[in-house]
Amino acid sequence: MTYVPADASFRAVTHGLYIQLAGSAAAVAVLVAVAAWANIARSAPPLDEERAKKLLGVEFPGREVERVWVAVDGQGAVAKSGGMALVLCRLGDGFVARQIPWAQAVAATFRDGRLTIDLRDVAAPSAVISLPSWPPKSLAA
Amino acid sequence: MKHFDPVTLATPFFVLTVLLEIVFARLGWLKARYETRDTAVSLTMGLISTLAGLPLAAVVATVGLWAYQHRLFTISTDAWWAWVAVFLLEDVTYYGFHRISHERRIWWASHVNHHSSQHYNLGTALRQTWTGAVAGTWLLWVPLMFLGFPPWMVAIEKGISLVYQYWVHTEAIRRLPAWFEAVFNTPSHHRVHHARNPRYLDKNYAGILIVWDRMFGTFQAELDDEACRYGLVHNLGTFNPLRVAFHEWIAIAQDLLRAPRHALGWLFGPPGWSPDGSRETSASLKAQWTARQAADTPAAGREAA
Repeated sequence: MTYVPADASFRAVTHGLYIQLAGSAAAVAVLVAVAAWANIARSAPPLDEERAKKLLGVEFPGREVERVWVAVDGQGAVAKSGGMALVLCRLGDGFVARQIPWAQAVAATFRDGRLTIDLRDVAAPSAVISLPSWPPKSLAA
Repeated sequence: MKHFDPVTLATPFFVLTVLLEIVFARLGWLKARYETRDTAVSLTMGLISTLAGLPLAAVVATVGLWAYQHRLFTISTDAWWAWVAVFLLEDVTYYGFHRISHERRIWWASHVNHHSSQHYNLGTALRQTWTGAVAGTWLLWVPLMFLGFPPWMVAIEKGISLVYQYWVHTEAIRRLPAWFEAVFNTPSHHRVHHARNPRYLDKNYAGILIVWDRMFGTFQAELDDEACRYGLVHNLGTFNPLRVAFHEWIAIAQDLLRAPRHALGWLFGPPGWSPDGSRETSASLKAQWTARQAADTPAAGREAA
C-alpha cells in the first residue's frame, strides 16, 4: 500500500479537472466552428404581412389582429390586438413573441428608424424593430 | 467499479456524435438543424454545468452517506437483482424528479434552460442546468440510499440514465420498432416532451422507460399531422448564457418582491401561475386549445355536410 499525502491527492484531482475542462472547452470551440461552417440553420425568410399574421396566429391563437406593422428588414413586427400589442422579433433562425399593453408599445423609443421596445421581461429584455415611423398617428392614443 | 463514471466516459462520444450529426446534416444524409449561437449556448451550458455542482458536492455526498449509514437493508452489490432493482427504482425516481421539475415553478426554474432552445438536436441534450444542486432535487434519490443501495451504485445508475437520454435528442431518428417504442424512451417520445404545442405540453417525462408515462397518464405519442415546435411557451429573446441559466430564478425573485404574500404560489405553483390567473399555465393553454378544437370541429362537420 502506497501512502499518498492528502494535499498531493487533491492536487492530482484538481490537475485532472483542469485538463478535462480545457479539453471540453476546446471541443466546444471546435463544434461551434463546425456548426458555423455547416450553415444548417433553419431557413427563416424575412417577414412580410402574410408571414407575420401566420406566425402571430401560431403564437397567439384565437387573437384577432387589427393591424400589423412589419419591419422594413422583415426581422420583426408589431400588431395591435385590442388593448395589447403583439410583438415579434427575430432571434437566430427563429422568432420570439411577447404581448405587452398597447400604450407601452406606443411609448417605446423610436430613433433613426429603429423602434426599441422594453418588453419588461428578464427572459426577453427588449425588441428592436426597424420601422419607417412610430407611433402610428391614428392609433397613438 | 466504484470509480466508474458513465458520463465522463461518454463525453468523447458526445463530442463525436454532435460532430457527426452536424457534418451528416450538412451532407444531407440526415435531418438536423444547428444555429451557431444556439449551439454555442447549449454547449457552454453543458460545459459550465460540470462545474456548477461542485460547490455543493460535499453536502450532497454527506447526505447520501448519512442515509446509507442509516439504511434499512444491506443490499449486496454482487447480486444481479440488486442492479435490476436499482435500475427500476432510479428510473421511476427520475420520472418523479422530471415531473415536478415541469409542474412546480421552483424546480422548473432550474430545469427550464434545458428546454430553452428552439432547436432539437444532440447539442440541445448538453444544455444542462447550472442550478440543479441548489434546487435540491437530488434529495429525491436519497431514499434509495436509505433503502440500502450504496451511493456509488445510485450514482452509476444516474449516470447511465443521463447517458441514455443523450441520444434521444435528435430529429435524425424518426421511429424505432414498435416494441422498443412501447417500452423505452425514444427520440420520437422525447421530441414530444420538448415541444411547445399545447397538445404536447407536460408529457413524456421518462428517463429510460416510457412505461412510467403510460402508467401515470402522461404519455403522448408524436403525431404525424402535428409537427413539434420546440422551445418554451414564451421563448427566450436572448443568447446570453447568464440569462438562459438564471432568468426564471430572477423572475421568481421579482414576483416575490412584488407580492410576497403569494410566496407559496410563486414558488410551488405551476410555471405561469399568478394570483389573478392572468398568466398562462400549461393547464390553461391546454384548456384553451381544447376549447378551440371543440369549436372548430362542429364547423368543419357542417362545412363537410
